[in-house]
Amino acid sequence: MKLLVCVKQVPDMESRFKPDSRGVWFSETDLAWRMNEYDEYAVEEAVKLREQLGESCELTVLSIGPDRVGEVIKKALAMGADRAVHVQDLDAAGKDPWQIASIIAGYAKEQSYDIIFTGMQSQDRGSAQVGVLVAELLGFTCATTLVGFAFADGVITAKRELEGGLKGVAKLQIPAVVTCQLGLNIPRYPTLPNIMKAKRKEIAAIPVTELLKEEPLAATTSFHPPAKKGGGVVLEGDVGELVEKVIAILKDKTAVLR
Amino acid sequence: MDFELSQDHKVLQDAVRDFVNKEIKPIAMKIDEDHYIPDELVKKMGEMGLLGSYFPEEYGGAGLDMLSYAIVVEEVSKACGSSGVLISAHTSLASGPIYTFGTEAQKKKWLPALNSGEIIGCFLLTEPDAGSDAGGTATMYRREGDEFVINGGKTFITNGGYLGTGVLLASYDRSLKHKGISAFIVDLKSPGVTILKNENKMGIRGSYTTAFAFDNLRVPVENLLGQEGKGFNVAMDTLNGGRIGIASQALGIAEGAFERALAYSKERKQFGQAICEFQGIQFKLADMWTRIETSKLLINKAAWLKDNKKSYTMESAMCKMHASETATFVTKEAIQIHGGYGYIADYEVERMYRDAKITEIYEGTNEVQRVVISKLLLS
Repeated sequence: MKLLVCVKQVPDMESRFKPDSRGVWFSETDLAWRMNEYDEYAVEEAVKLREQLGESCELTVLSIGPDRVGEVIKKALAMGADRAVHVQDLDAAGKDPWQIASIIAGYAKEQSYDIIFTGMQSQDRGSAQVGVLVAELLGFTCATTLVGFAFADGVITAKRELEGGLKGVAKLQIPAVVTCQLGLNIPRYPTLPNIMKAKRKEIAAIPVTELLKEEPLAATTSFHPPAKKGGGVVLEGDVGELVEKVIAILKDKTAVLR
Repeated sequence: MDFELSQDHKVLQDAVRDFVNKEIKPIAMKIDEDHYIPDELVKKMGEMGLLGSYFPEEYGGAGLDMLSYAIVVEEVSKACGSSGVLISAHTSLASGPIYTFGTEAQKKKWLPALNSGEIIGCFLLTEPDAGSDAGGTATMYRREGDEFVINGGKTFITNGGYLGTGVLLASYDRSLKHKGISAFIVDLKSPGVTILKNENKMGIRGSYTTAFAFDNLRVPVENLLGQEGKGFNVAMDTLNGGRIGIASQALGIAEGAFERALAYSKERKQFGQAICEFQGIQFKLADMWTRIETSKLLINKAAWLKDNKKSYTMESAMCKMHASETATFVTKEAIQIHGGYGYIADYEVERMYRDAKITEIYEGTNEVQRVVISKLLLS
């Protein structure tokens, strides 16, 4: 079995974001970087399957970006991936989900992976498109927003999170892509001995130009903070009037009384 | 020259920070109240590899370096100074001398259980009349056949209450002063070892500080650590390395208090504005952060020197002295910024202030650090 897990490095979400000079994305100055939260669930689930299947299985981690994405690659290796692919790209943030998926599929099509794990979306762009596009480009089956995963006899049983707290269960033939959601698992800590072992694992570097053949289909045209809101509304009058005003506002502005 | 952590060190820092935020931070106040670090946490720290960071993998360590160790102690101490000193004393003061001075057989025998955290180590140097003045050691040993027999007592032994593996200093002949001292690896569960008390302290209350009596404690001759009569060298070298750990503990405590003070100064409003808008508070924050940053630079340099096998005695003394004085300064100012609330246990800076003080005292008082630094300047 060959497994692939795709991880993205995103800014710490507690950072203060400022638009970049082009006004289409955030400035990277002074940001701290982390592994995309949903990708951590993907890595954990892939490592668990790797452990379940034993030595006959190999898990590769792939990330696209500049040198700094080495940190998330090393983290995934320390969590238990066997080897890594770093697609070197100084402008990954300038590419649309179609291009990112094309890069991943461009690499994966030569590798005959059985299962590809991704996060359900990234915390920064949040398009939730890359996983499903990779499946489409490779002709794989696909299930999204997994909160449960099991693999036996060549079939994936995927528990999916639906709207309103509902759950659905899908059975997938491999090869497949699954995208992982909060609640699927609790990612392990990379232990110090495993951080050391990760230093000896192979990280193959591939320039993005070797894999990217597609033009973008969508472009971000603007990135800006929300407009500053005015001050709150202060209601005045006796209790009866206040209640009526509040009910009127709730009816008008919200769905709670409909 | 590069002041950035390597990617490997960043991965480590991120992993330890994550572990600390989930496993230690939520119980730090309880550790202080209970005067006890839960066994479950010690076990988790062992599994995480925090108790053997810089020793080679062949002895069960993680195989990382001194800078990794400094990062581990710093990150843990941001949340809990007691857990920080457990790691520091265990790693630098027990495993450290066994790794540096031990024979191959001793390293293979003792280090794996220490590095995994299965056994917690301690360093038995201090006595009622000998601490900074190690030459005054009054615990005596004599040889009987294939054993050394040890009699006397030790005091203020960090991690002593775990009754694990200790590196113990004892004298053959007090008139020889430091030339009469030898070092031994001892199993503190042996007959002849009595705990007199675990001290009730101002701070780092979760950490054991133990007084021992030894009554005919028998140690096999193969447990002699280094050469007979060279125990003073073992002690001095061990304290040198240990100072980087304590400096990192002090730095972590300071950073933990600073984080809280900074956040509080933005939340707390007086006279219609956040108190961080007042220059009086701003200047405090600037002074606190500058001392934190300079402490970190000194620690990183000392760790770098040790990793590169260069002399680091002066730097380890300087980083310990500076970081510990930073810790007492920053925690005191953090309370001041919190005002009355800072004096209340719930806000945690009160605990940090109590935890910080000891870092100016143990592993050589700061007066001793100044002696070390000035002697090297004048030699």
